[in-house]
Amino acid sequence: MTKNPKVTVFSARRVVTLDPSQPISTHVAVRDGRIIGHGGPEVVGQFGGTLDARFADKVIVPGFIEGHGHATDGLMWRSPYVGYFARTAPDGTRQGGFRSVAEVVGHLKAIEATMPPGKPLVSWGFDPIYFDGPRLTVADLDIIAPDRMVVVAHVSGHILNVNTKVLIAAGFSADSNVDGLVRGQNGQLTGELQGPAVMGRANRATGDGGLLRELDVEGLRDYGRIARRVGVTTSTDLANAMTPANVTAMRTATAEPDFPIRLVPAMRAREYSIEDGLARIAELRKLSTPTLQFGLVKLVVDGSIQGFTARLRWPGYHNGAPNGLWYISPAELEATVKAYHAAGHHLHIHTNGDEASELATEMIGRAIEAHPRADHRHTLQHCQMADGGIFRRMKAFGMCVNLFANHLYYWGDQHARHTMGPSRVRRLDACNTALSRGVPLAIHSDTPVTPLDPRFTMWCAVNRLSATGVVLGEAERITQAQALHAVTLGAAYTLKMDHLIGSIEVGKYADFAVLDDDPLTVDPTAIKDIPVVATVMGGQVFATS
Amino acid sequence: MIPLTVIGGFLGAGKTTLVNHLLATGGKRWGVLVNDFGAINVDAALIAASDGQTMALTNGCVCCNMGDDLGDGLAAMAARIPPPEHVIVEASGVGDPWRIAQMALIEPGFTLEPLVVLVDATALPAQLDDHWTGDTVARQLAFAEIVVITKIDLADAAQLAMVHARIAQLRPQARVIETAHASLPETALGFTPPARPPASRFQADEITHAFPTQRIAADQPFDRDRLRWVLGMLPASVLRLKGVCLLGTDRVLLQYAAERWAFSPAPNGLANGLVAIGTPQMPDLELLFSEAR
Ligand SMILES: [Zn+2]
Ligand SMILES: [Zn+2]
Repeated sequence: MTKNPKVTVFSARRVVTLDPSQPISTHVAVRDGRIIGHGGPEVVGQFGGTLDARFADKVIVPGFIEGHGHATDGLMWRSPYVGYFARTAPDGTRQGGFRSVAEVVGHLKAIEATMPPGKPLVSWGFDPIYFDGPRLTVADLDIIAPDRMVVVAHVSGHILNVNTKVLIAAGFSADSNVDGLVRGQNGQLTGELQGPAVMGRANRATGDGGLLRELDVEGLRDYGRIARRVGVTTSTDLANAMTPANVTAMRTATAEPDFPIRLVPAMRAREYSIEDGLARIAELRKLSTPTLQFGLVKLVVDGSIQGFTARLRWPGYHNGAPNGLWYISPAELEATVKAYHAAGHHLHIHTNGDEASELATEMIGRAIEAHPRADHRHTLQHCQMADGGIFRRMKAFGMCVNLFANHLYYWGDQHARHTMGPSRVRRLDACNTALSRGVPLAIHSDTPVTPLDPRFTMWCAVNRLSATGVVLGEAERITQAQALHAVTLGAAYTLKMDHLIGSIEVGKYADFAVLDDDPLTVDPTAIKDIPVVATVMGGQVFATS
Repeated sequence: MIPLTVIGGFLGAGKTTLVNHLLATGGKRWGVLVNDFGAINVDAALIAASDGQTMALTNGCVCCNMGDDLGDGLAAMAARIPPPEHVIVEASGVGDPWRIAQMALIEPGFTLEPLVVLVDATALPAQLDDHWTGDTVARQLAFAEIVVITKIDLADAAQLAMVHARIAQLRPQARVIETAHASLPETALGFTPPARPPASRFQADEITHAFPTQRIAADQPFDRDRLRWVLGMLPASVLRLKGVCLLGTDRVLLQYAAERWAFSPAPNGLANGLVAIGTPQMPDLELLFSEAR
């Protein structure tokens, strides 16, 4: 064949295609941003392409897909990160990894010294669960800056620590006794604020919207930087208000020639009446481009397990905490599911506790009975405590699941001790049961709740190790091939994009993650440590550094 | 100080009907906050007619958090010029109105009116027995001070007796009002209802006697620690305590409800003195408070 200047052929040590007709290749040919062929060295001649051998000793896999992330991760880094687990900032630096209150205080003190006077110091990601020694107190934060408001947000999202200046500005004193103001043994406030009521008041007092900023173009660019470093070429933004400003920012960022990911935002149904929401999502769908796909609708049924706001079935929380609150009543959920289902839309429903998963499954079943519809792919997100019975019904109704595998590591020890207890924790994010019941599976990070990194998410689902090294539910482990599928083709399926992305097959977008080793054959405990060399999105190469 | 009424109750109990009725008949500048899913059903024309304002509160969270925008909404209401004369928060049908009421305790500029919870005479027992909704409805009633039974015209005597029994079991301290259409006058929702019952049965079906009140002198300063101890000792028959007192040398406004309390700087123009409001079982409090001076 004559030379075609539009064709590039990437060679690799191995190309893991997930193409059922040829699972492993060494060369992949790309034209116009899409895959035109793959196979052995003959591919170069077959398509008249130019050989690009820069990845010749690497492994190419389908670009990773984050089926449940939040682009607000790109905004978080405008505030200092003070977490126990190190994370990578958009600029590539490793941040956090603090092992004690003293380390956190020292870090904040150094940052404070560089700040102009008056501006509040708001930090995020604090995670004292694994700390030895005393808890963070108001005195610690007063040492950092007696004259400046200091706020430390916990990674769980349900607690803030503040200094005296914030307590005074918020009107909180030891004389008051309302839920959420934590006291020490001397009866004085510790500066720890629990729950939205007192946290919201403190956030208003600092005049810093804190960590709830509006998505903007620069934040999306930063999210793209975070994503491409870990091999991600498509990510959801799973709770988007779809305000005109949000939509403009997404359209602007995703149209930039060097934006490295495809973005799949989900419209938060709660922002709209059912009627307005149906109109809004229909209007948004028309704006879809190859790098920005609208169509998902997000519903939230309950809270979080670690925050004790998830809805659990019997026997409830292991430590006896009362059940969480519904975020939407069963009757409203039924009406909402039916309306969006009947109109042909695609629901992604947050359910953490098993009672929430049971309820959402029931309501989708009712919607299907009222409006039979094939291939809807309604997906339960998190679905952390579902058992075989729930998965069996989900399969019967044609539903998909996206399990929160990262929870096994980041909160697994807490779940074993406080929320689920030692037996039930074995079915936390039961990947194997989901697959064996035939439910299409994706796995996720819910970034910024846990760090975005599909290698790590695969590692969690394959090994099921908690942060202290305890195996949680060995029988729920899945294979490396199943885990790779769950962060590529499996996730694509839950987004109705499996005809476009998720595998290396002719006709699909040329979206690849270029790795130093093969996640299918590497030692299972090393999956998370495989270096990401580059990503390719629509045929365009993005180096990770 | 702006009076704030929190209205709770499960979906379909008549919260919006009650709010619309108050707007139509109250003759005040109302502020209404609606903490519920989707569109506001409160009649915007009624609010506009009273020069008031409605705000919808949707969850301001990323993903897994309850919204904390209620406080923002209250602050925005208080900052309006002129401010509303009375603010109503209509809780979500699955929300916990007591959580919202606690927010009013710590929000400067507001004084908490009785916590009103509506129940549907035809549906309450089934809702309480439902495995998906039972705990939600029970939790809504747990701190109610006024329980309004709505749709009594659709329930027979036996059903109504059952509803009363279930309420008494969950919250014996509450005053219970019956109504057919949730069309109660504003005065029925205060701690001190009018001396004479309203003329029309359709306005308010039954007004029982007022909650007992006690006045506690507060001319002498209280000792901080001892007052805290006394407040911690108050029995459940004390529903509310509010007023201005001296805490050491600070002049403060105290608001107490259901074992929770908050102090804020005292507004000008209020004399020293506390008022306790409770059930008929409320003991004489003067002796107890003398311990704190
Ligand atoms: Zn999420
Ligand atoms: Zn979620």
